[in-house]
Amino acid sequence: MTVIGERVPRADGQAKVSGEAVYGVDHEEPGMIWGALLRSPVSSGTITRLDTAPALAMPGVHAVITAADAPDAYAGWVLRDQRLFASDRVRYEGQPIAAVAAETLAQARAAAAAIVLDVEALPAVVDLEQAMTPDSPLVHPDWESYVPAAGPDFPRHGNVAAECIADPPGVDEAFARAYRVITDEFVAQRQYQAYIEPKSAVGIFRGGRYTVHTAHQFPFNVRDRVAQFLDVRPSAVRVVGHTIGGGFGAKLDAGLEPYAALLSRAAGGLPVKLVNTRTEDLLTCPSREGAITRIRSAVAADGTILARELEVIADNGACSGEMPWLAAIALHCARGVYQGGPTRVTARLVYTNTAPTGAFRGVNGTYLYHAVERHMDHIAAELTLDRRDYRLRLLFGDGEELLNGQVLHEAGILRQGFDALEALAPWADLEAGRRPYRGIGIGAAWWLTNPGPGSAVVSLREDGTAAVVTAANDNGSGAVSIGVTQIVAERLGIPPEDVFVTLPDTDIAGYDGGSQGSRTTRAVGKAALIAADEVVEKIKAVAAGLLEAAPDDLEVAEGSVRVKGAPGTRVPIAMVASTALNTVGPLQGTGSFVTPFPDFNPSCASGLLFPSFPTPTYHVHIAEVEVDPVTGTVRVLRYLVAQEVGRVISPDGTYGQVSGAVAQGIGYALHESLRIGEDGRYRERTLESYRLPLAVDIPRVEFVALEHPDPDGPYGAKGVAEGPVLLPAAVIANAVCDAIGRPLNSIPITPEEVLAAIQS
Amino acid sequence: MSDDSQAVSVTINGHLYSGTCEPRLTLADFIRHECGLTGTHLGCEHGVCGACTIIVDGRSTRACLMLAVQADGSEITTVEGLANGAELNPLQEAFWNNHGLQCGFCTPGMLMCATEFLEGNPEPTADEVRECISGNLCRCTGYASIVASVLSAAEELRR
Repeated sequence: MTVIGERVPRADGQAKVSGEAVYGVDHEEPGMIWGALLRSPVSSGTITRLDTAPALAMPGVHAVITAADAPDAYAGWVLRDQRLFASDRVRYEGQPIAAVAAETLAQARAAAAAIVLDVEALPAVVDLEQAMTPDSPLVHPDWESYVPAAGPDFPRHGNVAAECIADPPGVDEAFARAYRVITDEFVAQRQYQAYIEPKSAVGIFRGGRYTVHTAHQFPFNVRDRVAQFLDVRPSAVRVVGHTIGGGFGAKLDAGLEPYAALLSRAAGGLPVKLVNTRTEDLLTCPSREGAITRIRSAVAADGTILARELEVIADNGACSGEMPWLAAIALHCARGVYQGGPTRVTARLVYTNTAPTGAFRGVNGTYLYHAVERHMDHIAAELTLDRRDYRLRLLFGDGEELLNGQVLHEAGILRQGFDALEALAPWADLEAGRRPYRGIGIGAAWWLTNPGPGSAVVSLREDGTAAVVTAANDNGSGAVSIGVTQIVAERLGIPPEDVFVTLPDTDIAGYDGGSQGSRTTRAVGKAALIAADEVVEKIKAVAAGLLEAAPDDLEVAEGSVRVKGAPGTRVPIAMVASTALNTVGPLQGTGSFVTPFPDFNPSCASGLLFPSFPTPTYHVHIAEVEVDPVTGTVRVLRYLVAQEVGRVISPDGTYGQVSGAVAQGIGYALHESLRIGEDGRYRERTLESYRLPLAVDIPRVEFVALEHPDPDGPYGAKGVAEGPVLLPAAVIANAVCDAIGRPLNSIPITPEEVLAAIQS
Repeated sequence: MSDDSQAVSVTINGHLYSGTCEPRLTLADFIRHECGLTGTHLGCEHGVCGACTIIVDGRSTRACLMLAVQADGSEITTVEGLANGAELNPLQEAFWNNHGLQCGFCTPGMLMCATEFLEGNPEPTADEVRECISGNLCRCTGYASIVASVLSAAEELRR
């Protein structure tokens, strides 16, 4: 009997449907007081007056802190270009300038509002192209003094925060002999992660250390960031995780945590809680960056891509966060999943006076695949080729070598994806079903599973249940509450409901790379499996004495240790665990795991901070849409996904990730946009104007799981969650353009854009 | 507490809660902080996300858009009132069994919204369920599993 691939109830389900679950925003501590931040009202300016005395005189106030009270330190995930508080210059709307701790939240907010702040506004750097011109103001005049958080410095200059350039030989020659040169420019907007639980944190300064309670995707990253900001060593910070109300990448870097920690210190060690209002959350969230992508392809008459140039200019916002690492993703996605000649890639990340951008599910890939797949449709149209046939002709196969020298050994899976969707929705039938204002789109992608390290300790308890200690967290996906739980249950031969996994605590568990890049089920599942393997060996060693059999002749299954071939000769593992207390000591195993980066050619590009994509997965999507020519609205009629997953551990978890990612992709394609005014301020301020997809907007996704078990993954698992967000913008845009017979190269495709295109 | 604080008395999940509060305190904050019932979640505090949906005198209501003083004398059901002790009700069971939740932050609001809906429409179609929950935001699931959960609960409740 196996639980792998079976439907099992999620371990946190009871708590979540009953209202018992305690989320980060619900957490309270004895004696806790409340904090509030004073944030910059403008996106660029000089602080000319900052007087906290009125706030200190307000009722209930315990502490008011500003840059003068914070260590003179710079922090940052990749580049240390952030201060805790703005001191002289403000660089984006919402940037913290001061923080208050008071008895009640209302008192804290009133006191923050009483601080006297004068800011002399300066012109905001907003336009990405202008930001790169020599006469543009610099967002960080001191950029040269900044240092990376670790490792050597990387290419950056002025407002260019990071740069990745690949310039292989032969590109210009190929363009010179091209039958046709196809050129496109694509514009993608900012997208807000819009998790429903706003960010919060409770900080406590006690015994010379900082403890932070937070609902976070990456507790060890919070530990490191708080340590940088507060200028202490990482072990002086303890991060305790709580149930998390969604993150999608936005809760990977520290948010309110360092402020809560320092406020507690200033308030004499009282626990201080900070909670974002939704507007604060929206304005300061590290949203998915807006980007301009330009592609030129030199093509032969038969559609062969002789060479390509791809240029990406991405909006870093005012500080770097994780972003410099990600610039190289343009190199990995520049050809999509289609063969082509030498490809010149230029990716630049540009500082602007806007909120810092950051990780959002499918980092960089969403707009890169939108660009590449729209461009493929453009080439096919120019050469009057069938869009699907054209893709199949150039599709990557097994052993494909990429621009960075990485080899995709199993890229032939892509063809299986096209075949799987063909069986579900034959392209010819979809074409035959076309009529005015109804269109279809198709696209394909490859993606990574984040390789970050993870660890777990598995203990067999004396009642035959198991405890798993890990700093991995379940961001909602079920990766821990279903996936890791199932994997340990399977290995120990006990029911999933007998496996108990801790919430993260950086004082208790070993390092974990965070819930990002689809890694948890695979990486933490693998670490937990290694730990469980060790427990199984110990169980057998102890049981061997009880059963008077050799350990190698034993198997652990169904809650017992039994002699192979003689299942009647058995002893319950609970008894083994109890016996072990008096013989070998408690039964416990430890596991650690990290995926190595695949081999690559280091000289293929400059600025190659993310050099290759480990544990590739493959994706094919089709969308069918209908456009209302009167209102311009787009309705997604059908959405199909074929996806390589390694092996399905949880069918519910797998489908849930695909469905949820597609919904976010549909929002990105059609609805969601953080528009930025000329003053650098967001036009969207609340969820009222930031238009998230609703239940009526999202069709039921038709999904085919392709299974090619990964020998390095636990029971064959690869990452699942990110890939399906990569293609909705691409295939929906292709479908809308098909429906109206005109190109639309900006997202989101709003009704206004559709009507303008129809009427043009 | 300032001088203009007012007495509020509400019955929540069968228990009487009496206290005083500022006239501007929202019902959501009253339920969460004064009554300690944190299952009612606040996602936006401006009436868009629906996570704080509760039932006030038989009608679904956004607890962030109502003042506590307005609820004086009301009968309120929150997510904590759905289960019978440790026994989940069929709608809760259906959300758990059908993977109708991921992070679970929208779940209390979805459950309360669907509770009222199923009382008025015990035999809904999938489209009607979609319509019903379209005032509540979920960022995780893509809604399909929530629709399936509500349909499954409707079927169970008809038995």
